[in-house]
Amino acid sequence: MKMLITIAWRNIWRSPGRSFVVIGSIVVGIWALIFMLGFMNGFMISYINGAIQHEISHIQIHHPQFKDDYQIDLILPNQKAILEDIQDDERIRAFSARSLTNGMIASPRKAQGVRIYGILPEMEKRVTHHDSLVSEGTYFASDLKNPIVIGKDLGEELKVKIRGKVVLTFQDEKHNLVSGAFRVAGFLDTTSPMINKSTAYILKDDLNRIAGLGSGVHEIALFLENPETEEVVMLKLQSNYPKVLVESWRSIAPELELFLSMTDSFLWVLILIIMIALIFGIINTMLMSVLERFRELGMLMAVGMNRVRVFAMIVLETIFLSLVGGPLGILIGWLTMKWLGKSGMDLSNYSEGLREFGYSSILYPFIETSTYWTVALVVVFTALAGALYPAYKAIKLNPTEALHTV
Amino acid sequence: METATDKKVVIRTRDIAKVYHESKIPVQALKDVDLEIGEGEFTAIVGPSGSGKTTLLNIIGGLDKPTDGRIQIGGTDISKLNESELIDFRLHNIGFVFQQYNLIPVLTAKENVEFIMLLQKRSKHEMDERAMLLLDEVGLKDKADVRPSELSGGQQQRVAVIRALASRPKFILADEPTANLDSASANNLLDMMAQMNREEGITFIFSTHDQRVIDKARRVVTLEDGMIKHDEVRG
Repeated sequence: MKMLITIAWRNIWRSPGRSFVVIGSIVVGIWALIFMLGFMNGFMISYINGAIQHEISHIQIHHPQFKDDYQIDLILPNQKAILEDIQDDERIRAFSARSLTNGMIASPRKAQGVRIYGILPEMEKRVTHHDSLVSEGTYFASDLKNPIVIGKDLGEELKVKIRGKVVLTFQDEKHNLVSGAFRVAGFLDTTSPMINKSTAYILKDDLNRIAGLGSGVHEIALFLENPETEEVVMLKLQSNYPKVLVESWRSIAPELELFLSMTDSFLWVLILIIMIALIFGIINTMLMSVLERFRELGMLMAVGMNRVRVFAMIVLETIFLSLVGGPLGILIGWLTMKWLGKSGMDLSNYSEGLREFGYSSILYPFIETSTYWTVALVVVFTALAGALYPAYKAIKLNPTEALHTV
Repeated sequence: METATDKKVVIRTRDIAKVYHESKIPVQALKDVDLEIGEGEFTAIVGPSGSGKTTLLNIIGGLDKPTDGRIQIGGTDISKLNESELIDFRLHNIGFVFQQYNLIPVLTAKENVEFIMLLQKRSKHEMDERAMLLLDEVGLKDKADVRPSELSGGQQQRVAVIRALASRPKFILADEPTANLDSASANNLLDMMAQMNREEGITFIFSTHDQRVIDKARRVVTLEDGMIKHDEVRG
């Protein structure tokens, strides 16, 4: 085996130029794989984190039927007890209790449908951080009476300015239409098209007063310290309060889950494409190397080297190439991820388009450590797969014919 | 069982025929070849190009199978062996010397000599000792760590011969071993092989049309059109 390893290792350096081409293609293949995985991870995380941080949070609690039709009278049962409970739970970083209804927003120029949230700004900003996303005006910090914060795009659509007047119309708890006039305190510029285009935030007291809800709320949103505790927290809340509906972000926004699985499938397709390209590169080079050494391989078999050893020698040569190229590619990929993970990738040139889909304009690619191992395994597997045909070709040669090859 | 040379028969071919079907017209390379080679012979198989010398050598060496006939080597009917048994048989019984030397270019002279012994799973100590001894005998001790590309044609062929010899084969089959060598190198090589034949009793069979080889051979088998025309044993 030692001699086989020696021969295989020396063989790959017989044509250094050719070996460097294979090693180079392995390095580029791995780097591209790591980069694309990191980029897609960053893309996915940016999208999901954006949705969780600024829109839906990790967990939401509602009346079980509330989300069927957003009926305003379906207020959350056990609200006080739930709030007391979660206040003491160290796993919950922040929470926000909101009133919520659908209605119309009208400016002197235009009217459109809107989702209206009645919030406690101090509580809300710890969950959704909307105070950091105000593009113009303030986050309920002005002295305006009946302040309202709306999405930037909605403001443009309604053609209102800061301190401009809008009227909200919605049903009260008895299903009568009620209205209230509000002055725009600020515009939100988030990564969520839903918030930017069709959401309005007013004070909970204002909404509850107009709708006659008293102190009731429709939704409690929870932001967790550690997303991994999501299931435990949900289980506890659901068992303590069976009359409410406790949902995770996955069921609240199933499109995120779908997006995750689609990205996953896309990544496998990507891995497959890169692997196939790599396999053909390896087959091409190794086949050339085998055909060039036909007479030598014939001699080895003539003097008594069995086919298993010849096969192993060719496979070993390919593995050595991947063992040189693999770690190098992984190292360059790791360095790229380190650098881009810190500095981020500025995609502001495409940010308009990206925002339409809920992405932030700066992406932070990242890759989990285990993925590097996966990539390493994929490379070794690819190299092995690429070696099979040339090795098969080598053992199928006829020593007598091969010995007379010029 | 004695041959015309009064030696124990170690190779016996019976009615060997070989037909190649590579083109539309079948080519009869060998026809009814009956040959007995005794232990320790120094035999040259000669004949014009296309007479079947190399084919016969390949069949004797188990590299090729006859279309018809039987071949016994040291009591083993090698025409009945399968591919892997043949490889194993060659490894332990036959040494090959080729016209093109066919050394492994990435190994040093010493590693080349050790190579077949390694396949035979000999001990490191034995390989080391035998390789150095043989390199010394052919005057290449100082070239032990040199790769074939740095050796002359004659030196490479000497390494090829001792590579074949190192594995202690029963026979050495040499296909046109001197074809690429100048006179001095060819004579040197032939002397070396004759000495090994005398001292170690190894059977040498050459396929050649080099007169220098024919002159040194103690038996000359002449092939023509795939058949044995003459079988001359010299004193």
